[in-house]
Amino acid sequence: MAMLDIAELSAGYLGEDVVHKVSLAVAEGEAVAVIGSNGAGKTTLFRAVCGLMRPSHGSVRLDGRPITRRRAHDIARGGLAYVPAERHLFPEMSVTENLDLGAYPKRPSPERRGLVLDLFPRLAERRRQRAGTLSGGEQQMLAVGRALMSNPRVLVLDEPTTGLAPKLAVDAYAALEALRGHGLTILVAEQQVPLALGFADRGYVLEDGHIQLQGTSAALAENPGVQQAYLGVA
Amino acid sequence: MPRAATVGRAGTPAVRAYAPIVVTGALAALLPLRYGDSRAMMGVVIGGVLFAAYTIGFNVIFGSTGQLFLCTGALAGLGGYGSAILSDRHGIPMVLSMVLASLAAAVAGGLLSWVAVSRSLGVIFTGIVTLAFSLSFENLLLGKRDLTGGETGLVVAAGSDTFLGEQVAPFYVFLGLVVAYLAVYRALQRSHLGWAFRALREDEIAAELAGVDVKRYRVVAGTLGSGMIGLAGALYAHSEGFISPRTFSFGEVDVLVIVMLAFGGIGSLLGPVVGAAVYTVLEEWIDSFDEYRLIIYGSVILVLFLTLPRGVVPTVLAFVGRLRRWWRARRPRAPAAPPPIATITPR
Amino acid sequence: MRAVVFDGVVLGLQFGLLGVGLTLVYGLAGVLNLAYGQLAVLGAVVAALRIDAGAPTIAAVLTGLAAAGAVALALDLTLMRPVYRRRGEDRVLLGLLLMLGVAFIIDGVLVWRYPIEALTLRIGGDPVDVLGTRMRTGSLLASAIALGVGAVLVVFLRYATAGKAVRSVIQDEEGAQLCGVSPARVRAFVFALSGVLAALVAVTRSMTSPVTVNAGIDFTILALIVAVVGGLGSVSGAFLAGVLLGVVNTVSAHYIGTYVTTIVLLGAAAVTIVLRPSGLLGAGRE
Repeated sequence: MAMLDIAELSAGYLGEDVVHKVSLAVAEGEAVAVIGSNGAGKTTLFRAVCGLMRPSHGSVRLDGRPITRRRAHDIARGGLAYVPAERHLFPEMSVTENLDLGAYPKRPSPERRGLVLDLFPRLAERRRQRAGTLSGGEQQMLAVGRALMSNPRVLVLDEPTTGLAPKLAVDAYAALEALRGHGLTILVAEQQVPLALGFADRGYVLEDGHIQLQGTSAALAENPGVQQAYLGVA
Repeated sequence: MPRAATVGRAGTPAVRAYAPIVVTGALAALLPLRYGDSRAMMGVVIGGVLFAAYTIGFNVIFGSTGQLFLCTGALAGLGGYGSAILSDRHGIPMVLSMVLASLAAAVAGGLLSWVAVSRSLGVIFTGIVTLAFSLSFENLLLGKRDLTGGETGLVVAAGSDTFLGEQVAPFYVFLGLVVAYLAVYRALQRSHLGWAFRALREDEIAAELAGVDVKRYRVVAGTLGSGMIGLAGALYAHSEGFISPRTFSFGEVDVLVIVMLAFGGIGSLLGPVVGAAVYTVLEEWIDSFDEYRLIIYGSVILVLFLTLPRGVVPTVLAFVGRLRRWWRARRPRAPAAPPPIATITPR
Repeated sequence: MRAVVFDGVVLGLQFGLLGVGLTLVYGLAGVLNLAYGQLAVLGAVVAALRIDAGAPTIAAVLTGLAAAGAVALALDLTLMRPVYRRRGEDRVLLGLLLMLGVAFIIDGVLVWRYPIEALTLRIGGDPVDVLGTRMRTGSLLASAIALGVGAVLVVFLRYATAGKAVRSVIQDEEGAQLCGVSPARVRAFVFALSGVLAALVAVTRSMTSPVTVNAGIDFTILALIVAVVGGLGSVSGAFLAGVLLGVVNTVSAHYIGTYVTTIVLLGAAAVTIVLRPSGLLGAGRE
């Protein structure tokens, strides 16, 4: 049984669906990527899965339990941590305070915090700094770190490399790779296809709100359609 | 197919566009036939028309460009007190005094708009700044006793010996004012300015990108609406013959105007008239339940905004629009004439 | 002069407490609670009624606070629901109008049923000498309470987990949701708290002068000024602004006059909005 099971999910804005009956599944410990260009519907899909939007159709199950119309904070407490593209950090709070809130409502465990700071040494250096003054890369790290503080079973990331310089983007995926060792199930939406396929086990290609292709990363990387559209190979 | 009233109707012929105003004016003109004998009742009716005028002015500012001006009373007071002081104390002819006082109100409103616009103040902050102006003005009236008579008020001599001092005649003056204001509002809606206003309310950023000079239009609306309010206040001062800070206070004017407009329909043409009319009737009816007044008002406001958030006029128009479409769908259509057979003339 | 300034600081602490409830609710929910003053008066009237009925003062005051908090909570759970469902300007407007209606209703009920009721808490004792100025024990106690409550609030918001949850919703509502914070619960809590704080201000005010059923609107306007100058959403800001405005108030009243003083205070709010809209401290900063 999949850890995260999305079945026939449709969602959109003002009555118009942007995502149409999308089905995808992530097994425990797997890393799955959703790739697609801008406007394909990746963010809408993720928001609907994580409770920030109400889907118009379909269902979502987390470890067998239905979470389809639950509120975002309920889903967050239930073990699904979401890192949105805009990060949504607390600008006036320090790095430590941001991290600690990630553990809400539980008290932040020092071991957990240590783990996150080991993963992102840059954050450790800036522990007391206000989140609003961090650089883009540091904010991204903080957003991921905060999501990890609740010890989630599933980590969902929407375009984690947004606004990151190429080297930092690579570093970000290296960190995610390190996380995989801890048994974390990861679902990531990504425009930078090579990075995504290099990291994930399997992938889904989303276009105009529909799943066009799915398969192992290797298979997708070799697919001529994918190569042409996303890998810049003529 | 044309949608409800909020979408532009620049294409509608002038007669159809202004017809509702003429009809409203004609119907209202009949009121003195019923109430002309009673001074008290005419006072109430005139009050209703006065507030309709205030509300139209407020509609120009808030309904058109979304600026929450919480100083309608103060603007009216600027017109009223200004005109009274100019004519009584400085001997300036009444009509000129009214014009000058209205201009003063227009300038004040324009300035407030300009400040709000240059600092990009949102709804709440614009509201607070204008509220500060409003309360300060009220305090000024109370404080400067030698000029304004303070709390006891001011007797306005100029105009009391003209037809303005009569029982029924002022009603027609105010009605004329309201009809004129409605015509101005309608013309505004149909003009380029009106189109810009609507774009502004829909999506400010898109409007800006489309070339709408948001700042200028807001200031124009603020100035025009304020002038309208000031003029109404000035007229009232001369026809009533007596004004006090209470006449133009926030509680007595602004609160009512906002509720009237919200009830009638923010941004609609006849909303202010409907709102003012219903309020006046309600007020008369409530008179016998004086102790429960506030409770009734509060409850009416709550029920109102929970059920008809868009106001009476837009809701009615939307309903009528739906009825029309339903009716058209039901009626069997006459078979359409067969399309002309295309003939291709060989070259 | 020193006495006047000192007077201002003492008064200002109470101003600060007045602004706190309003500023928290606005920073949190974008709702300007126009019925704030009425909640304060409601609490005072309930306390006064209990005292009339013979209850001991402290118990009566606690009842008043509880009543105001309960009404505020009820409002949040019912009327505020449709308001929270909207966003941005829509929410602001509907919130304003609905709270206006509530203000009228509470005012109307109180004026109708208890028109002559007023709360007066007589604090016995001779005037005390503080830093060379004579102060009435009533105003000293009032300010001490304001300071104490303010300190507790700031500490709560800054260090307590629940307090940080409140600040998180003020700073980024979506981010808070993703951390497992329920914005609806936080809003309900803060709304109820603002009711209690409003009533507390009325109680402290009654230690220096009687609080009548008509005082509602004055409370609301003053709270608004303090909240705006301090920065909507900041508790420390409200206190800072309160003290500042308190001093301005007493200095102006002493040297110029009462009518002008009101204008000066309003002007302060307007100037703050125009020059520095985020206020002295700004949302969520403690």
